[in-house]
Amino acid sequence: MSFTEKNTIASLVNFSLILIFYLVRMFQMFQNDTFEPSNVFRLWGIVIFLAVVVTIGAIIFTHIASATFTFWKTGEKEEIDNLEDERDKLINLRGVQATYMVSSFGSLLAMLTFVVGQPPLVMFSLLIFIGVFAQIVGDVTRLTLYRGGVLYG
Amino acid sequence: MGDSLISNNIRTLRFLNGEMTQKDLAKKVGVTRQTIVAIENAKYSPSLEVAFKIAHVFNVPLEEVFSYDVDDNN
Repeated sequence: MSFTEKNTIASLVNFSLILIFYLVRMFQMFQNDTFEPSNVFRLWGIVIFLAVVVTIGAIIFTHIASATFTFWKTGEKEEIDNLEDERDKLINLRGVQATYMVSSFGSLLAMLTFVVGQPPLVMFSLLIFIGVFAQIVGDVTRLTLYRGGVLYG
Repeated sequence: MGDSLISNNIRTLRFLNGEMTQKDLAKKVGVTRQTIVAIENAKYSPSLEVAFKIAHVFNVPLEEVFSYDVDDNN
């Protein structure tokens, strides 16, 4: 497994957990009737913190764990020959395309909440959900291409 | 994901060059071992630059490494 593939898996796991956490918290807010700006803004802060800081931490942890496992299994240091080559760049590009596509449709969907008379808080909550979901779609696309192969065109 | 129309003889050429490992070839070409695996299995079509580098490593013309399977019906 390449360096970038491990990063993608770490990112996918992290964003999946963030999405579950976000949905559970949202559900709790609706149940307890505490869907208010102060609570929602706090939740956004937590989600953004987890998305940035924890993703970096998860990637570092993944590489340390991988290197430790390789050393324990083979007694040799894990070699990182090339961090990213042209195939990784192409796969990353396809992943970003998938993320943008989901983000675009999701943003449009979020705007439609105004049409049905929902308050701005609902739209912004939906935007955060779509942002995290789009990242997951991008990561799944990358992993699919790593496993199944990627061709030009 | 469908396989590429570009086929290659990299496995054979590696064998003929003293069982060169995928890792060694990757190092000489400047890509990851996973990319060499993907090219060998026709799961990735390399750029012209990488294709020429692979041919250069084996010291053969490009046509001996890669061939394009043209379907005349299309």
